[in-house]
Amino acid sequence: MTTTFTMAGLGDALIRLFFRGPSGTEIGGTADGVFMFIFWWSVVLFVGLMGLMFWFMVKYRRRPGRIGPRSVSHNTALELFWTIVPTIFLVFMFFYGFWGYADAIVAPAESLLLDVRGQQWSWMVTYPNGAITGKVMSTPTGGGEAYDPARDNPQAAIKNLGAKSIPLIVVPVNTPVQLRMISSDVIHAFWVPDFRIKFDVMPNRYTNVWFEATEDQIGDHWVFCAEYCGQDHSEMAAVLRVVPMAQYREVVEDKWGPKSLPPVEYGRVLYNSKCFTCHSVNGDKNTGPTWLNLYGNEHEYTDGKKRLADDNHIRESILTPGAAIRLGFPNQMTTFAGSLGEHEISSIIAYMKTLSDKGGPAAAPPAGAPAAAPGGTTGGGQ
Amino acid sequence: MTTLDHPHHPAHGGHEGSYLTPKGGFWATVWDWMTTIDHKKIGMMYLVAILTMFFVGGMAALAVRLELLNPTRLDPVTGHVVGSIFSAADATDTKPGNEIYNRMFTLHGAVMVFMFIIPSIPAALGNFLLPLMLGAKDVAFPRLNLCSWYLYVFGSIFAIIAVVGGGIDTGWTFYTPYSTVTDPDHWRLVYMVLGVFILGFSSIFTGLNFVVTVHKLRCPGMGWFDMPLFVWAIYATAIIQVLATPVLGITLLLLIFERLFHIGIFDPALGGDPVLFQHFFWFYSHPAVYIMILPGMAIINETLAVHARKRIFGYRAVAFSSLAIAGISFLVWGHHMFTSEGELSSAIFSALTFLVAIPTAVKMFNWIATLYKGSITFNTPMLYTLFFLFTFAIGGLTGMPLATLSTDLHLHDSYFVVAHFHYVMMGGTVIALLAGLHHWWPKMTGKMYNERAGIMGCFLVFIGFNMTFFIQFIMGSQGMPRRYASYVDDFHWMHMVSTFGSWVLLAGFLTHLVNFMTSLAVGARAPDNPWGGLTLEWDTDSPPIEHNFHHEPILTHGPYDFDDTVPPRTRPGEWPLAAPLPAGATAHH
Repeated sequence: MTTTFTMAGLGDALIRLFFRGPSGTEIGGTADGVFMFIFWWSVVLFVGLMGLMFWFMVKYRRRPGRIGPRSVSHNTALELFWTIVPTIFLVFMFFYGFWGYADAIVAPAESLLLDVRGQQWSWMVTYPNGAITGKVMSTPTGGGEAYDPARDNPQAAIKNLGAKSIPLIVVPVNTPVQLRMISSDVIHAFWVPDFRIKFDVMPNRYTNVWFEATEDQIGDHWVFCAEYCGQDHSEMAAVLRVVPMAQYREVVEDKWGPKSLPPVEYGRVLYNSKCFTCHSVNGDKNTGPTWLNLYGNEHEYTDGKKRLADDNHIRESILTPGAAIRLGFPNQMTTFAGSLGEHEISSIIAYMKTLSDKGGPAAAPPAGAPAAAPGGTTGGGQ
Repeated sequence: MTTLDHPHHPAHGGHEGSYLTPKGGFWATVWDWMTTIDHKKIGMMYLVAILTMFFVGGMAALAVRLELLNPTRLDPVTGHVVGSIFSAADATDTKPGNEIYNRMFTLHGAVMVFMFIIPSIPAALGNFLLPLMLGAKDVAFPRLNLCSWYLYVFGSIFAIIAVVGGGIDTGWTFYTPYSTVTDPDHWRLVYMVLGVFILGFSSIFTGLNFVVTVHKLRCPGMGWFDMPLFVWAIYATAIIQVLATPVLGITLLLLIFERLFHIGIFDPALGGDPVLFQHFFWFYSHPAVYIMILPGMAIINETLAVHARKRIFGYRAVAFSSLAIAGISFLVWGHHMFTSEGELSSAIFSALTFLVAIPTAVKMFNWIATLYKGSITFNTPMLYTLFFLFTFAIGGLTGMPLATLSTDLHLHDSYFVVAHFHYVMMGGTVIALLAGLHHWWPKMTGKMYNERAGIMGCFLVFIGFNMTFFIQFIMGSQGMPRRYASYVDDFHWMHMVSTFGSWVLLAGFLTHLVNFMTSLAVGARAPDNPWGGLTLEWDTDSPPIEHNFHHEPILTHGPYDFDDTVPPRTRPGEWPLAAPLPAGATAHH
């Protein structure tokens, strides 16, 4: 009994030393398990090798007049042994790590979808109801508030971080949260060390991370930009605050929003002003393909390929329409780059999802209900 | 390896002077060095050049550590900028500290990678030793060799213009689109990138020269498996230099075109893809990691065998693992992009990365096994060799969680990565360079260094190095991102430890510098073969004569046959041999 307690205690102490505490999320826990496996494997190997080295150093130190035994040139069996055995461990490490990674980057379909925008040098998050958090206060859809360490959390240690104020991102506990990320300028990376997740934020396509915070993680977690992005890279931080669902609703719905339409509604407005002349929503053929059951399905194109109409494909079709033309339609559409911003594009996607059988379980959500936000995108860096 | 008809000169070889003998007056000597095609002089000129660059890069590193001791930041109470060296007395909202810090770490990285570590061992020690070890008079193309040195200097001047003009802030990796938009009205970045482009040609020429030299200029009696393992590793390095560097050259030209003419290859606003740059860049720069570490392994093979007086265990496995590392190194570049590419490519590159760990581990095991039943001495080169085995093992093992996908999602671009590559690049290559510098110093200069001062320097470097970098593993896994001019308070004490360590490290390097300078001025004359080495460079004068050998050497035994061979140019009985073979048995060969 004492032995197991000691080992468990040692394990906990090491997790605190390496990661400041257990991750709490399932994905983080898996990653820590892989890390600790590699750690113990490395310790055994390192101590073994160095132990041998120091033993040889003492035992075979040069002594005058001593005549050494003859050198052995090699030993095939021994060399095969120390090539093959580590290889087996490495194969195991690879698979162990790959499984954890696959879970970490593919978000569940029912996730709460938040849009994250990185720009030099701050983060901005748009909630499904249109509420926006971030340092950038002048956006038309407004709202949100900056993180004030003095008011919100006097213990927050930002003394050595040069930033005056950093964004506060509020997310609900026990809810899978998917972050669909894009950059306005250079490459950034969104890192939540406490959750062990990170992904680059690109200027030309969406990338995703997701997490599901547990009760243990109610409270504040640092978000850092991990990809060097210029002068104030080190100040591009945010605080991710995990709160109970009731409090989340209170903050995001009552306090911060909705000051504009929810994305689905906004997308419908945009459709009715810009898109309806060429695209139907009832399945009728027009100049362009109908939006009915467009999202999430595969379609044939003039180059003979089939493509899945996912978020990135729709974004590409809006910004560079000539890149892929649906079979049976003319190359007619002009680019909407410049006239439609990222918020507009993501709203159109949200609207499209409500028109599709593959739009996810939460198609046509009641306005402002975050748990029932549109979901169903596949994650990862594609 | 006796040279036939060798007149056994205890002192300077009879009819020819040392390569260091001045040719006439001061200016004549300068002209002689500047126009020399002697590989030894070019090697020494490289040595001076790379150590100068090591000093420049090291100063930038100390500045970076000093900033992080007390980072520039806004005081939340007064709103004033406070902090250390870069902040000045600026009470405004602007943060010059960040700007200067970003230029400092870029300077540190670019100088250390392109101007110090890549040319360091191959161009300096490799140039000096490769022909000697092969029993040749010079490299295959002596004029091309001199041309390489001038290209190196020329490229470095471009880089220095960029630094003196205000520096660049992209990091040594020049990632797009940041590098195409930063400092839009300045030419500094173009100068720096052009400099690196030119340095690439220097590297290609050196590699080409070494490949041909190894193929064509081995002395009579030296088959491929009679070559010292130093030569094998330098040969593997040269192959990578020739094959990978052109890709970097093309990438950098594209970057310049992108910046000047906006052609839209990397810039998404023009339809390009910024990740494409990362693929191109790492297609060179990952193999370049092995351009940096293989020469370190090259040195360790020699210092370990000589100072343990033992045949390298599993010679062929070690030789082939150098080639295997060189080959696989071309297939792992995508592991720098686990957080930016798709799942499939991440999985493939993760698997290939584990593959490169195997030949590296094999080398470690062979080196430790070489010590078994050796006769181990503890002089400066051997202490540095053991130091290498210690730090390189840590560097290699900490690569595992970075190759593993789920853990790399957390550790990528953190201080864990910074610590890992410093344990490999500095704990591996720089430490091996110090082992090699002490090991061949008597041969290169004809002077002995002070052993006690060398050992003291080695201990200081060991303590300083581990103090500076070990804590960075923990900092990184706890959440400290790299390239940060400031940080949250939790990391402060660890940054303090790291900065104090950098000062101990500085003290260690200064000890060596003083030791070497003293040795040049008043050092005792070095014997021709102070360590009882068997490779051919020990079978000539210290320092060698201009044409290396009095007569063309003919190889009569392997490089590590310490059991049966009286080392050349030593007194009989000075180096004991192994017990004689039992009757009827044959020696291993």
